[in-house]
Amino acid sequence: MGFIKDERPQTICVEGTWSLSSYHYKGSKLLEQYVKGLKQKKLIGSFCPGCAKVILPPRNLCGRCHRIMDGRKTVSDRGTITCYTVSPAITKGKLKVLGMDPVETGLIKDGEILIPVFVRFDGSDSNTDTILLNAEPKAVHIGMRVKVIWAKEPQGALSDFEGVEPI
Amino acid sequence: MKRNAAIIGCGQTKHSSKRRDVNVAEMVSEAVYNALEDAQVSMREVDAFIVGNMPGFGGIAQPEQWLGDWIGAAGKPVIRIATGGTTGGSVGQGAYYPVASGLHDVVVAVAWEKHSDSKEAGATSGLLHVGLGNLFHAASYGLNLKNLMAMSMVGAAAGVAVYQAVFYMHRSGCTIEHFDMVAAKARRNAARNKYAHLQWPGCTPEDIAETELLAYPFRYGHICPASDGASAIVVAEENLARKKARRPAWYKGLASYSDEENQLQSENFGGVGVLDPSEQRGCWVSAMKAYAMAGIKDPQKEIDMAELYQPFPSQELIFAERLGLFDEGTAWMALEKGETDINGRMPLDPSGGVNATNAIGSSAMQRILECALQIMGKAEEHQVPKKVSNAVAHGWGGVTNYSTVTVLGDSPGR
Repeated sequence: MGFIKDERPQTICVEGTWSLSSYHYKGSKLLEQYVKGLKQKKLIGSFCPGCAKVILPPRNLCGRCHRIMDGRKTVSDRGTITCYTVSPAITKGKLKVLGMDPVETGLIKDGEILIPVFVRFDGSDSNTDTILLNAEPKAVHIGMRVKVIWAKEPQGALSDFEGVEPI
Repeated sequence: MKRNAAIIGCGQTKHSSKRRDVNVAEMVSEAVYNALEDAQVSMREVDAFIVGNMPGFGGIAQPEQWLGDWIGAAGKPVIRIATGGTTGGSVGQGAYYPVASGLHDVVVAVAWEKHSDSKEAGATSGLLHVGLGNLFHAASYGLNLKNLMAMSMVGAAAGVAVYQAVFYMHRSGCTIEHFDMVAAKARRNAARNKYAHLQWPGCTPEDIAETELLAYPFRYGHICPASDGASAIVVAEENLARKKARRPAWYKGLASYSDEENQLQSENFGGVGVLDPSEQRGCWVSAMKAYAMAGIKDPQKEIDMAELYQPFPSQELIFAERLGLFDEGTAWMALEKGETDINGRMPLDPSGGVNATNAIGSSAMQRILECALQIMGKAEEHQVPKKVSNAVAHGWGGVTNYSTVTVLGDSPGR
């Protein structure tokens, strides 16, 4: 029963390409206000008039009570680590992101260990994912107090927020 | 008045990383014909098809339009369901409704994935919405490249699972060694399941512990494979089910409740409102509703085994608790005592589960199929030794916000 084949041991592999640039992703202007805040070294989250949650970075709609989050609230740039992970030492040739080797391009030092973290900034009700810098991987723990490392000359871009470091 | 419905036949393909001998349609037809043969139902008796896989995975966006002929769907309704990782669970539940409502008497549900047809792990086109769209958006606002590297390192489903696992470890006291134990169990169980992908007879937690640490707390040995494969079930109304099957697997209760989006970021790079991604409220609500429909008051006593959606070992422990099979924060203790082994008090994933075989669109369907096999007594070498009267099948996916919970039993229930 069925079409169990025996006539061809392998299918024929037909190569094809498709350009991702043929798609147009529609973003909203939410981040514009956020990066303007970063330029002034401020973290501005969205405030829900329904449940009073403050979400950072801001979002349009509250997932829980379905209200438009059109309020804004500035939260502290100090917070607490709620979760973390630790990478192995990243050496040349180990990792490729968007076709680039981060060690070769100088973004990451050879043998550097990355510590991605979730931070709940004081006054917010969400986790912001970022990286922990200037810290020993062994020292990171849930509950660790941290503060934002701001760019020396903020440009009004997401990169103004370089990461967090222990207080 | 709803009618009773039961699974009367199951069919799968062998799962492997590359099924080079078949294309998608041929692979799907293998599972469908195997299921029809198992159910002793002819193609003419089938009234409708519910089908599904992950949109865009495997490089073909709408395979259901092409494979209809290969599963005998000409002249019959075909409905495709796609809900991300939960797709298979939604397909398996989708076959219940037309039978229970009286619209159709026999429905075939089939779900599949053929990862190897795409060069990209996780198929870029399928992730355009949440993954790449967000990334391009953030890049246009000057995302810090070092942050981007860190995010990519823990990106996609593995990234969510990493954080979820750390939250769970922190609040339950479980350790990385428990993940080694779950992964070793999955590979050992898979070795008894002839259709499974990552089979490793006699695999020990020490074997898993020797593998490379990818991102704390996950080692290489913890991670599920990307599999090619398909699975199908035949669902029939009560009279036919009793006539065709010696021991049908009855749908007793089912539910699918969503949670808030809780991946790393929401749309437009915004934050998410769920503080603990291991909380999984949607699963908890789905379980309560499904048990209520099935008339199950104490799942710890009344459920005999479970097939959970656990691409990462932490998820077997998290979801076993969410489904009420163990008290909060205690699943790892039960694991230590061997209670979740194939011959334990509450066997979890005796098939090896998603941790050993992950043809994504099909994975949640396989949980339903495997529970049906256990109830029908057809699981062969991975049949649990205890009598299975009630089994629970779980699915998880979406942007980690969708859940399906299906309770099957050896009687139609109430």
